[in-house]
Order: sequence, then structure tokens, then C-alpha cells
Amino acid sequence: MEQLPQQLVNGIWQGAALALFAVGYTLVFGLLDIVNLAHGATYMWGAFFGFVCVTKLNWSLWLAIPAAMIGAGLLAILLDRLAFKPLRTLTRGGLVLWGGFLILLLGIVGKWDDPLKWTLIGAGAIIMLVGVVQDYLTKVPLQVRQVPHLAPMIASIGASIILISLSQGIFGAQVARFPPGTVSDEPIQLVSGAVIAPVQLLVLVIGVVLMLALNFLITRTQVGRAIRAIAFNERTSRLLGINVDFVIAQTFFLSGALAGAAGVLLGLAVRRIDATMGNDVELAGLTVIIVGGMGSIWGAVAAAFLVGMLRVLSVAYLDSSFRDAFVFGLLILVLLVRPSGLFGRGSSTRA
Amino acid sequence: MTIKRGFLKVSLLAALVMLVSLVLAACGDNTATPVPATTAAATKAATTAAGATTAAGATTAAATTASGATTAAATTAAGATTAAAASTLTGDIPIGAVWSLTGGAAIYGPSQKNAADMAVDEINKSGMLGTAKIKLITEDDRSVKEGGIPAFDKLINQDKVVAILGPTLSSTALATNPVAQDKKVVVLGVSNTAGGIVEIGNYVFRDSLPEASVIPNTVKATKEKLGYKNVAVMYGDDDAFTKSGYDVFKKALDDNGVKILTTETFKKGDTDFSAQLTKIKSLNPDAIIVSALAEEAAGIMSQGRQLGIPTTVKFIGGNGFNSAQLAKLAGAAAEDAISGAAWFISNDANGNQNFVKAYTAKYGTAPDQFAAQAYAGVYILATAIKNTGAANSTAIRDSLAKLKDIDTILGKFSFDDTRNPVHTPILQIVKNGKFELFK
Repeated sequence: MEQLPQQLVNGIWQGAALALFAVGYTLVFGLLDIVNLAHGATYMWGAFFGFVCVTKLNWSLWLAIPAAMIGAGLLAILLDRLAFKPLRTLTRGGLVLWGGFLILLLGIVGKWDDPLKWTLIGAGAIIMLVGVVQDYLTKVPLQVRQVPHLAPMIASIGASIILISLSQGIFGAQVARFPPGTVSDEPIQLVSGAVIAPVQLLVLVIGVVLMLALNFLITRTQVGRAIRAIAFNERTSRLLGINVDFVIAQTFFLSGALAGAAGVLLGLAVRRIDATMGNDVELAGLTVIIVGGMGSIWGAVAAAFLVGMLRVLSVAYLDSSFRDAFVFGLLILVLLVRPSGLFGRGSSTRA
Repeated sequence: MTIKRGFLKVSLLAALVMLVSLVLAACGDNTATPVPATTAAATKAATTAAGATTAAGATTAAATTASGATTAAATTAAGATTAAAASTLTGDIPIGAVWSLTGGAAIYGPSQKNAADMAVDEINKSGMLGTAKIKLITEDDRSVKEGGIPAFDKLINQDKVVAILGPTLSSTALATNPVAQDKKVVVLGVSNTAGGIVEIGNYVFRDSLPEASVIPNTVKATKEKLGYKNVAVMYGDDDAFTKSGYDVFKKALDDNGVKILTTETFKKGDTDFSAQLTKIKSLNPDAIIVSALAEEAAGIMSQGRQLGIPTTVKFIGGNGFNSAQLAKLAGAAAEDAISGAAWFISNDANGNQNFVKAYTAKYGTAPDQFAAQAYAGVYILATAIKNTGAANSTAIRDSLAKLKDIDTILGKFSFDDTRNPVHTPILQIVKNGKFELFK
């Protein structure tokens, strides 16, 4: 019993970090009914954006976190335009975007001499930009299509692999960490028998603030109303004059920004960022959004704290070898008892 | 729309034809192979395809020349083999190296690669093997068995190597070395320290002291100096190296009468250890024994100190601690971490200081034990090749088995009857982010 207060603290801050990750995940699902398996890669890129800001540009953490959020948010929009949107509606801009992307990849991956390499990368980036703008301006798409449900998910796996390989190519495969002293290491005494490190407190506070902000955004603002309307019925929303593509882009931005914040914060807390860091948290995040009910934001938050606590307490009082077994046992149990998740509703009433 | 569709079709066909011609080229058909105009539609894309053929043809030609050269070299080497006694080594001696350059163990592989490349350069320049040159062919196993096995297959079947250095991880070695044993190709592990490696067969050697000979020494010496009675143990239960390190630790602790309060496990790649460490903290151990790779060990140390485990409770570990990455990742939390090691940077063993200097100058960081053992491994192989005067695997095997007390940067080095290395281990402690001898 002596260790209980500390274990609760461990569970709570981990739950907050997981929630931050899972909320963005579930947001996209709620809106588009797609499981974005590249969310983990966005999270990893967020961590690296923050890392570059702190180490290369010498920015303070308070500047690096918003920068990483914006970077990861823009990446998520790009991801939507590259992997998801062309599946829904193909436009000429989308094709141009893809062409630019391929040139960019060629520039990054190929072993070119210096001027040629940067020409390729620059040209690729410019063509991509043109493609995005053209895609955005398109009134009449080349094709509007119904694709099988699995297609976006498979596309996101591909996107995830590309993003991970890119980061491995750029940042190397070695594990990196934020420079020591970015956040103080001295543990803070909470109650007798429980301490919390400043970085964990930071995760908890920023996590809660961001989730409250998201809640405000979804329930009280015009964007939030549009998101809910599209989640309810996309066709009707279009008829009502909502710019669906723009709202989807905004949703991806929000989702990516939350993942980016989670990436920087968790990278700080566990002192480890590497190209594959998204893989573990992605599986945990998927568990969280299924247990919480796909598409339900508060469900995801509650499930994140539940999973965080379960992971910690199973190690504390049972056996550390079986930690993940307990988490996935919970997943199966929830699927058996309540297939739509603890807070889930049918897709017809989701919003 | 129609025009676009047509354009798409043509470009798709062009791509298809290019693909076919590439495949044909790869199959070894000569430059003369015309593009098979199987479909009438293919002619539409004739211009594109023609371009493709030329390019593909050129590639084939280049490939043929290159492979011709290789064959010639191989033949020369084989020729040398037949005339073994004459000890006239000429041409290229192909030697493979399999490192974990990406993936979970990517903090070890690159320094091994650097050191091995450096040793090969030195040997080739020094004329140690007469006019013969070592041709080192490096493969990346991505830190997984699934990457190691194809790498071994390629090196053995395609590159016809006479010996292989590596692979980096013991768990990979357990999967790959039987492949080499089957084909009677020498494997020299330079960082495999788990049990069961050399037992795979008589073509498998290692120059890395196994945990079984380092850890008992570590436990005995640290218990004498620190006087601990109760310890907590943490290990990764899904990795051959950390698991076998744990087994040896457990036996050594039992032998020395140390009580194990709790045994906690984690998985490779885990980032959060706070639950296990909280449990350990509540049991108040005198020391914490960790069998982990440096990345996980760094996480364990920093999170342990964050949870307020006092610095008087020292972290003691095995080979995984012996990486410069440990102090880099864990920062101040790595201070006073103690580990047994096969090599020490300030050793004055023959040539060690020159190696440290040359490595630091070339790569900008100081070498670690992994670099040292890889470097020594290349020299051990080269010595065996020189002694036997032949570049064939069986001859090298016999020559390696006979090596006694040769000078390496690890100290006086021999293989025992089980092809395990024999030299004296040392004990080191992290002070100000650097390894020092633990006294």
C-alpha cells in the first residue's frame, strides 16, 4: 500500500499524455469514419519539430511546443491531402500535389550532388504548394468516388511508413533526447510517499488545458458546430453551405496539433525520441479510442486515464511481464460487453 | 476527360513496358534483348519505352562488367586457396559484416561499422596480407532477426564471403549463425555476449567476453566494495541478451548471498518504467541491478532518479551499459552507474591508445567497447588469414581456433576450446559523464 499514492500519480500523468494523443485520433475518426494509422507518425514528427526548435534554433520550450503543434498540424493537413482526400475526391490539384511529393521524395532519398538535390527538393516543395492551392480552389473534381472502407486505413499505413522512413533519413536512426535541463529534474513532493517530476506536471497541466480548449472549440465555436454537423451528416452539411473540405482540413490540423504537443511532451518525459516512437503509442491510442467509443472525445479521455492506470497498477500489484496483456484483455472485454465502447454511440447519432 | 484517361493509359503502359524490360535485364539477358512488343498498344508508348530500354541495357552492361570483375576476383581468391601452402594471397578477400545500423540497436551498430571500416583500411594500407586486400561488405540487419537472415544469405550466397563479422545483437546471432554454420562460413561475433552463441557450431567464434565471464566478477567486486545485501533486479524479458544477462546476474547474486527483493521486467523499446521503479523504491533496495540495453537503461536511470530513488542506491549493469550513449541519454542520472566491461578506453593494451586517437580524429567521438571489439575482430580475422595464408573459410576456421596470446587492443587475446574469448574483464563507473575504472 505504501506505493499506492505514487502509482496513482504515475497513472494520472501517463493517462493525460495518452489522452492528448488519443483525442486527435478519435476526432478524425468521428468526422470521417477513418482510422488514421499515420497519427503515430504525426506524433513522432511533432516531437522532432520540437526537438529541432530547441536544439538547432535554441528556442525555449514555451515557443517550441506551439511551433511543434503548428508543424504537426500542417503535416496532418498535408497527410489528408496526400492520403485521404484523393480517395474521396480526385482533383487535378491532387495529382499535381502527388507529382510534387514524388519529386520531393526523389530529392531527399536519391544520392544527388548538392545543387541538383536542393533543386529537386525545392521544385518538389513548390509544386506541392501549387497542388495544394489548386486542390483547394477546385470547384469541379475529376472524380468523386466511393472507396472501400479499408482503403483510407491502408493508405494511412503507407503514409506512416513514408513519414517514419523520412525521419530516419533526416534525423538518423539513433535515439535522441532533449538537452538536459530543458525542464528541471528535481522531483516535487506532493504528499508523503508521492513525488512528481516537473516534466510530468507539465504533461498533466498542458494536457488538461489543451483538452479543455478543444472542448470549448467543439461545443462553442462556429468551427466546432461545422465539425459536429459534418460528423452528423456530410451531405446535408454540404447542402447547407458548409465548406466541408475546409472543415476537414481544420479538423486534421487540430488532430495533428494535439499529436504534436503529445509528442514533444512525452519525448521530454521519457527522454527519448526516435523515428519509431509512434508505433507503441499508436497501439495504445487505438485501444483507448476503441474502449472509449470511436469518435467520442470524452470517452477517449476517460479511457486514456483508465488504460494509464491499468498499466501502472497491473505492474504494481500483479506481474510486470503481463502489463500489456491486461490492457488488451480490457480491450477484448469491452468489445465483448459493449462493442461500441464505454461512451460510444451509433454512428447515426455521433457528433 | 477522355484525353486524360488516354494519357493515363499510355503512361501506365509505358511504365509496364519499362518494368518488363528491367525485369528481363535483371534476369541476365543481354543488351540485345529487344523490348517485347507483345501488345499492339505497347507501340503507342514506343518512344518512352525505347528510352527505357537503352537505360536498362546500359545498366545490364554495367552489371555484367561488375559481376565479371567480382567473379575474377573470386576465382583469384579461390586460386590462392588451392595453393594454400604457398601463402601468396592476392586479390580481394571478401569479408561480410552485419551491423544493426537502424532499429532498436542502432546506437551500437554505427560505431561497430566505423571501427571495422577503419581497421580494414589500416590493414589494406599496411600490407599485412601482402598484395591481398580485404573487401568488407556491410549489411544492415535493422536490429531484427528478419533483417539478419537475408543479410547472411546475401553475403554467403551472392558475395561468397569467407567470413562474417557480427551480427550486432545476440538474439539476431542465434537466428543467423546456424545459416553460416550450415554453409561452413566462419562467423566472428564482436558484440554477442549471451549464452548459446558459440554452441551453434564449430564455425562460430566471438571476441566479446560473454556475460557469463564478466558478470560474476562484477557482482563479486561491487558487493565487496559497496556491501549491499538486498537488491532489486530489472531486465528485458523479450531479448536474448538481456534475458541471459539476468540469468547470470541471478546466479551470481545467489552465489554471493545477496537477497533479491523483487524482479521486474520490461520489453524492448519500452519508454516508461515508472510503475516498476515505484514498486522498487517502496522496497528500499541497497542497489538496483539492471540487465538492459543502453537506451532502456538510460530511461530506467533517469526515471528512477525522478521518482526520488536516492543516489546512494547505485545502478549496476552488464554489457548494455557500456555505451557512450548511456551518459548522453541519461545525463546526470547515469552518474555512478557501474558495469563490467571487456575493454576500457584508457587501457594501455597494445595499440589501444593509437586506436582511440585515430577513431576520435576520424569520427569525432570517442570509441566505445563495441567499436573496440569490432576493431579487434577485424585484426583477429586478418591475423588468422595471414597465418594460414589462405582465403577460404575452413582454413580460416582452423587458424582462428589455434590463435594464442596475440596482441589486440583488448589485451592478450586467445580463443578457448569452445571458441569463446579469453582475456581479463574490468569494472567501470560513470563519473562526470565518462567511464572511469571502478576501484
